[in-house]
Amino acid sequence: MNIKINHIAKMEGHAGFMMSVLHGDVQSAKIEVQEGIRLIEGILIGRHFKDVPVIAQRICGICPVVHNLTAIKAVENAFGIIETQETEALRKLLEWAQFIHSHALHLFFLSLADFLDIENDLQLVSEYPKQAKQAIQLREFGMLIVRTVGGRVVHPLTNEAGGFKKVPTVEELQEMIQMGEKALPVALELGAFFRGVRVPDFTRATEYVCLEKNGEYAIYDGDLVSNKGLRIPVSKFEANFHELHRPKEMIKRVESDLKTSYNIGAIARVNIQRDKLNTEAEKYLGTFGFQFPDYNPFHNIYYQMVEVIQAIEDSLKILKNLGHLDLQNALSQPFEVKEGIGVAAVEAPRGTLFYHLDIDARGYVKNANIITPTAQSLSNMEDDVKAYLPRVLELPPHEREKKLRALIRAYDPCISCAVH
Amino acid sequence: MHATTIHLKPQGNSANQGHPDSTEPSVQAPVSERKPKVAIVSLTSCEGCQFVLLDLGEKFLNLVNQIEMVDFRLLEDLEDPGEALDLAIVEGNPVTSENMKTLLSLRERAKLLAVLGNCAAMGGIPEIKNYHEGPNTIKRVYKYIQGIENPEVREVDNFVKVDFTFPGCPVTGEEVLKYLPELIAGRIPEIPDKPVCVECLRKGNKCLFLEKKPCFGPMILGGCDAVCPTARMMCQGCRGLRKTGNTKAMRATLKTMMTDQEFEDTTEIYGLRDDIEAREQPGN
Repeated sequence: MNIKINHIAKMEGHAGFMMSVLHGDVQSAKIEVQEGIRLIEGILIGRHFKDVPVIAQRICGICPVVHNLTAIKAVENAFGIIETQETEALRKLLEWAQFIHSHALHLFFLSLADFLDIENDLQLVSEYPKQAKQAIQLREFGMLIVRTVGGRVVHPLTNEAGGFKKVPTVEELQEMIQMGEKALPVALELGAFFRGVRVPDFTRATEYVCLEKNGEYAIYDGDLVSNKGLRIPVSKFEANFHELHRPKEMIKRVESDLKTSYNIGAIARVNIQRDKLNTEAEKYLGTFGFQFPDYNPFHNIYYQMVEVIQAIEDSLKILKNLGHLDLQNALSQPFEVKEGIGVAAVEAPRGTLFYHLDIDARGYVKNANIITPTAQSLSNMEDDVKAYLPRVLELPPHEREKKLRALIRAYDPCISCAVH
Repeated sequence: MHATTIHLKPQGNSANQGHPDSTEPSVQAPVSERKPKVAIVSLTSCEGCQFVLLDLGEKFLNLVNQIEMVDFRLLEDLEDPGEALDLAIVEGNPVTSENMKTLLSLRERAKLLAVLGNCAAMGGIPEIKNYHEGPNTIKRVYKYIQGIENPEVREVDNFVKVDFTFPGCPVTGEEVLKYLPELIAGRIPEIPDKPVCVECLRKGNKCLFLEKKPCFGPMILGGCDAVCPTARMMCQGCRGLRKTGNTKAMRATLKTMMTDQEFEDTTEIYGLRDDIEAREQPGN
């Protein structure tokens, strides 16, 4: 028997899912990409390094900030540029804002309806108007930061190799702090609502991978670690995680050195870094009473909520600290263009995003490799679908499809990123 | 068939109509009570333009309240029933044959078709490949190229009639709020033929030319609130040439600020290069 989901809506990009079952045994579970290729890595070749973030961030309309950050970091690493602490602070602020913006969208508008048996978000908004407003208010805080610091929400403008073209004013910092202080209680209240949303009880052990760094919940830098004992610098990413291209597939999958699928994103980060959460985020996580490691992929939405709280707390810390620093030091500084290889990774909302750029002496790209989060988590998602399917196999087809879509969407996949 | 209803605001068009304090986009009540049927569909793209719509938050939801959303896969699971449309809004490029089928069918079903953003309007980032290695670009990315659709990237108006273009990479939210109600009411709006410089000056920005920094502002259609020069980033032309944009004069002005190679490279980012070449053809 073949089970086909034609098109999974409410996620970034287009894909369906195909499963085959023989005498009750799941033979295969595979995503079917319905997105065309854009060949971003190919078109970066021969372009000047200044164009790299401009082009590469357009891989994704939902997480352009993290593509912008990683591309610029890779360029700076190729040239040996060391960012100032002010530049680093503004970049981390942008990244946390991206987390808030992206997670709050997924949590509320893309995934929540699955667990309330609603198929249309406009109906969701009408049944939960208060929570809808809260989700919108949180997103607006994230958007305010990206607009103020980055110059625009979708496809930011100010960040470049060497620093920022423009920096926020003292008044703008104040405005962001004020909005952040209002956002925190809103997030806690929305969090309490999500705490009451029931998701299926399903677990399958896997390997979790994310960045880790001493003393902070790492999203912007650190080493790559896993709950299976991996610990490598970002420069060894491609030596440990292997891109595989299979015929007729538009997504190059990634497998770990253990030749198995692995998972990333909020669920991986909270599993690995939970002891570094801020006060409120840690307190909120505690209300669930989960045992770790937690292998329930549906819990990803809870952990995204944990990270929204974490992001607001960290944004406020950074914003308040910026008041003591001289933001003029974040303005772009001149640097020497030279031949070099730059690799970089940051934690995107959906997991580790990796860039490798090979730049020539004139500053033009010779080679580019971009490994996105969804390309890495896709095989893990398929393995989860395979393990989960027997539990919903006997349901009427429409119900079964709803359950499967809920699992797939809990991953918050970004097909545009995965294909790019 | 499914009607979408939200209740963030009181139901019905009349409640929002003509209120003096109302900042809501006003839609002329249709002759019948029937809400206009609209579909918002993305082909191959980053979907950033659709996120600009979502990022409008309640303003967008209130606008949605005044229409019947037949298809908007970013927000609903229900299948598009394939009925006739008053307005189809298309984002992205038709890269796959499935994309092309979708595009042709939308045109057939819709009274008006608008394109959303630079990819659909001008080819966008994916069009860069046309200017360089063309179909061979795929070999830089994939090991097995058999069975992967890899056409030349072409703008939507090469395949279907386009009634209106929301320009930009991404589109400007406020501009969508301004013109979408017109389209919903069945009218085709026109964006004033003014350069980016008009809004840039109005914002009190220091002109990048004064610092000998290049900018395409004078030849590019305004309406974006000069968002790039405001962020001290040159205008790279994502909204396309003005009808009266003088590309030769622009080249002459920029001679001292960027090399011909840099000019050409920059015009490729948003698919502007082919439009400039067409305009500079003898006889144009």
